[in-house]
Amino acid sequence: MMTYIVFILSVIFVVSFVGFSSKPSPIYGGLVLIVSGGVGCGIIMNFGGSFLGLMVFLIYLGGMLVVFGYTTAMATEQYPEVWVSNTTVMGVFLLGLLMEVMLVLYVLKSEEVGVVFKFSGVGDWAIYDTGDSGVFSEGIMGVAALYSYGAWVVIVTGWSLFVGVLVILEVTRGD
Amino acid sequence: MNPLIFTTILMTVLLGTMIVMMSSHWLMIWIGFEMNLLAIIPILMKKYNPRTMEASTKYFLTQATASMLLMMAIIINLMHSGQWTITKVFNPTASIIMTSALAMKLGLTPFHFWVPEVTQGISLTSGLILLTWQKLAPMSILYQISPSINLNILLTMAVLSILVGGWGGLNQTQLRKIMAYSSIAHMGWMTAVLAYNPTLTMLNMLIYIMMTLTMFMLFIHSSSTTTLSLSHTWNKTPLTTTLILITLLSMGGLPPLSGFMPKWMIIQELTKNNSIILPTLMAIMALLNLYFYMRLTYSTSLTMFPSTNNMKMKWQFETKRITFLPPLIVMSSLLLPLTPMLSILD
Repeated sequence: MMTYIVFILSVIFVVSFVGFSSKPSPIYGGLVLIVSGGVGCGIIMNFGGSFLGLMVFLIYLGGMLVVFGYTTAMATEQYPEVWVSNTTVMGVFLLGLLMEVMLVLYVLKSEEVGVVFKFSGVGDWAIYDTGDSGVFSEGIMGVAALYSYGAWVVIVTGWSLFVGVLVILEVTRGD
Repeated sequence: MNPLIFTTILMTVLLGTMIVMMSSHWLMIWIGFEMNLLAIIPILMKKYNPRTMEASTKYFLTQATASMLLMMAIIINLMHSGQWTITKVFNPTASIIMTSALAMKLGLTPFHFWVPEVTQGISLTSGLILLTWQKLAPMSILYQISPSINLNILLTMAVLSILVGGWGGLNQTQLRKIMAYSSIAHMGWMTAVLAYNPTLTMLNMLIYIMMTLTMFMLFIHSSSTTTLSLSHTWNKTPLTTTLILITLLSMGGLPPLSGFMPKWMIIQELTKNNSIILPTLMAIMALLNLYFYMRLTYSTSLTMFPSTNNMKMKWQFETKRITFLPPLIVMSSLLLPLTPMLSILD
C-alpha cells in the first residue's frame, strides 16, 4: 500500500475537492479544505518537498484558512447547509464521487490511461527515491532563489497583494 | 473614491497590462492578467449601484474563468516542453485551450455574451477603458503565440464574431451596447488576419482604439447614452454632430476615412493567401455593422430626430474637458493617405 500512497492521497484529494465544490455552507467547505490541504501536503512531501508541505500547513491552513474560518463564523446562518440537507448538494456530491470512482476503476483496470498526458497503470504513480537529493533541499533553495534572482516576482506579488487589499476595501466600502 | 487610491488602482491596471506585454515567463504573464483584472473591478464599480455591481461581477467571473483556462494551458505547455519561456506553443491541446482562454478575455464569439451586458452596466468612462485598454494585453499574447494557433478554430471564431457583432448590434438603441457589439466585430477582423500577418492585427488594433476613443469621448462630451439623447446634440453643440458622422462612418470602414485602411489591408492579405470566400463573407458581414452606424448618423446628424417640443433642449451641464479630442478626431478620419507608410513595418 505504501508504494501507491501518492495515488491514494490524490484520490482523497479529489474527493475532498468534490466535497466543497458541491457547495455546502462555507463552514463545512472550510472543514473539507482542511482535509484537502493536509492531503495535498502529504502529496507534496512524498515528492520530496518537505519545505513546501510545511508551508501548506503553516501558511495556508494555519493562516489563511483560520482567518477564513473566523469570517465565516461571523457571517454564518442559523441552519447551514450540509451535504445531506439539500437534495441538490447531495446530488452533486454523489455525482462527483461516482465520477471519481469510475476514473479510479478505469485507472486500476486498464494498462494505459491517456487524458492530457499518458501514464501507464498505477505503477506510474509510485515514487522511487533515487537517493541523492544533495546536501540542500530543493524547497529552501527555491526560496533563496526567489529573493535573489526572483526579486521582480517578489515586487510584483507584493504589489498585487497590496492592491488586492485596496481593491477589496474599495469594493466593500460602497458609497 | 479617494483620489490617491483611485490613482494607485488605475496605475495598477496599467502595470498589469505592461507586465503581460513585457514578460517572457508564462507565470508572470498570468500574474499580469490577474493584477489587471483585480484592479479594474473598482474602476468598473465607480458609481455604486446594483447595475454596476452586477456588471463587475459578470466581468470578474468570465475573466477569472479565462485566466484559469490560461493557467491550465500554461501547465500543459510546461509538461510537454519543459520550459516556461513564451514562444510558440508546441502542443496542440495547450494551443487550443490558450486560444479559447484569450478569446474569452477579448470577447470573441462564442464567448461574447458578457461584452454587451458588462459595457451597458458601467459608466461611459469605465466602458471606454474596458473596450480599449483591456484588449491590449490578450491581443499581445495572441500576437506572440500566433505561429502555433489552430487556424480552423481561429478563423471560425473570427467569422462568427464579425457575424454576431453585426447582427447583434442591429436591434440596439443604447449606445454602450452598440459600442460593445462594434468591439466584438472589430476583434473578429483582428483575429482573422492574425495567422497570416500579425502586423495587420496590430494596425487594426491601433486604428480601432483611436476610433473607439473618439466615439466614447464624443458620447461623454454630449453626456448621451441612448440614441434618442444623442439625436439632440444638434441643439447643444452642432459641431459634434458632424464629428459623430465622420467618426461613425470611419468605424464602418468607408473610404476615404481611416477606418477603411485596416479592412482593406486585411482583405488584401487574405486574398494574397488564396482565400477568397472568407474575405468576401467578412466584407459582406461588415455591412451589418455599417447599417447600425448609419442609423446612428441618420438620427444624429442627417435629420432632426422627432421628439416632443419640450424635449428638444438638452440640459446644459458644465462642459466636460475632453483631452485630445481634436487630434483623435483627425487621426480617426484622415489617416488613409498614409497607408503606403505601412511598408516600413517589417
